[in-house]
Amino acid sequence: MTTTLLQLDDLVVGYHGRPLLPPISLEVGPGEQWALIGPNGSGKTTLLRTLLGLLPAISGDVTLGSEANIGYVPQRASLSGETPGRVIDLVRGGIDQGWSFLDPLFVRRHAAEVTRAMQDGQVEDLAHQQYRTLSEGQKQRVLVARALAANPQLLVLDEPTAAMDLSAERGVFELLARLREDRGLAVLVVSHHLTVAARHATHAILVDKDRRFAASGPMEEIAAAEETTERYGRLLLDALSEANP
Amino acid sequence: MSAWATFWGSWPLFADSVFAGAIAGGTLGLLGTYIVLRRMVFLSAALSQTAGFGVTLSFLVGFISPSLGAIALTFAVVAGLMIDNTADAARRDSYLGLAFLIGSAGTLAVGTRIVQEMQDIQTLLFGTAVAVVPADLLELGIVCGAMVALHIWWRRGFTQIAVDRVDAKVRGLPVRVLELLLLGSIAVVISVVTRVLGALPAFAFSVLPAMAALRVARNVDVALVFAALLGVVSGVVGYYVAFAWDLPVGASQTLVAVAAFAAMAALGAVMKR
Repeated sequence: MTTTLLQLDDLVVGYHGRPLLPPISLEVGPGEQWALIGPNGSGKTTLLRTLLGLLPAISGDVTLGSEANIGYVPQRASLSGETPGRVIDLVRGGIDQGWSFLDPLFVRRHAAEVTRAMQDGQVEDLAHQQYRTLSEGQKQRVLVARALAANPQLLVLDEPTAAMDLSAERGVFELLARLREDRGLAVLVVSHHLTVAARHATHAILVDKDRRFAASGPMEEIAAAEETTERYGRLLLDALSEANP
Repeated sequence: MSAWATFWGSWPLFADSVFAGAIAGGTLGLLGTYIVLRRMVFLSAALSQTAGFGVTLSFLVGFISPSLGAIALTFAVVAGLMIDNTADAARRDSYLGLAFLIGSAGTLAVGTRIVQEMQDIQTLLFGTAVAVVPADLLELGIVCGAMVALHIWWRRGFTQIAVDRVDAKVRGLPVRVLELLLLGSIAVVISVVTRVLGALPAFAFSVLPAMAALRVARNVDVALVFAALLGVVSGVVGYYVAFAWDLPVGASQTLVAVAAFAAMAALGAVMKR
């Protein structure tokens, strides 16, 4: 039996009671890589914010598995360049959950998780460097390590490869593949680069608010769906063929 | 006789004022680190002016303690910030600008109606702090001590919402409670410091030491300690400079904090090379 980490039941997202997208239902299981894709302004961010609990749903349900928790990797620009902090400080900052910050020894007791997150995020060598001095690819790995510190079962990344060169982009997806394998993590990547995200995903959520369209399921089904080919031609199918020649 | 010898010779006369400057500078230096990290520098200006207005209104009414008057109005500003839950920085700054202007204009306008207290209004706005009475020092010490204790205990929570509010929310930290306590504690301390030392040093202590510390600190924890120390130094040295050069105390403390910021900015630039 597969454990469900995240379940959406007829989830309708939007603002001020106005739906942006049709109802979405899906189940995310361990080891799956989901791509939340769509052009700019398609409703991806609204859906993401609702999934993360930052925005109330208009209707329907978002259910996390009983033991599941989400690790969130924001866009790198969300952290101020003026904030001082070494890599180790940022990763330690990812340990706290709920009211745990009231326990003065909580972080010390979870030092092993910090070490493991640093290793899995491949940022051990950067531990004492200032975050603001790192390259875009290194910053992304640090934010992944911070999210891993809380030992999540589902990792959600918002536009992780924006403003990256091809080599750094490949590095991020290789890291995610390894985390899925080693930790059994499920991964959800939000991206407006349809082909990049599609190449690495096992499943996809394709949204387009202008066409009132939302579809979710295995990547092959989404890429071959009539609505997808009508709108994007063979774009996703070609990306899949490229990834699995 | 040198200024230092004269100052030291009259130490019992100045001790309470120097301690008040140190306590206010240290506490607001610590709290100000969160203000600067959250890019809400205008919050301090708005709260200190609003606190000043609260104190003048208390003088006018006559039956409300000036500290309570200041706290009541600054809490109203904080409540407005909390109710408007949008993340729109421009809207937030407009709101704080409005609070600042109402506070400034209100203080001056009400001040003209309480002529016998004009000296107090001047003190309030620019901070003479020449003679802090023991009761004021005690009030300042209790309020600041309680707030520093809270901030040491809840430090990790306050730091999380200052560095990355969205991530803190996703990890289930009680962001609204933390924000309410953070802004509430800042409002209380600024209110009491404004009442005892004046609006100018209250604003200066809550931004300049933090700005200076963030230039050179390796992380937020170090910045918090360093900002508190710089605040203490600004409060104490500022008082002595005011004595030695016959300057208004609030202005002198502010200028010392500016000098500390300039020095740290230069040091930070050198360290980055």
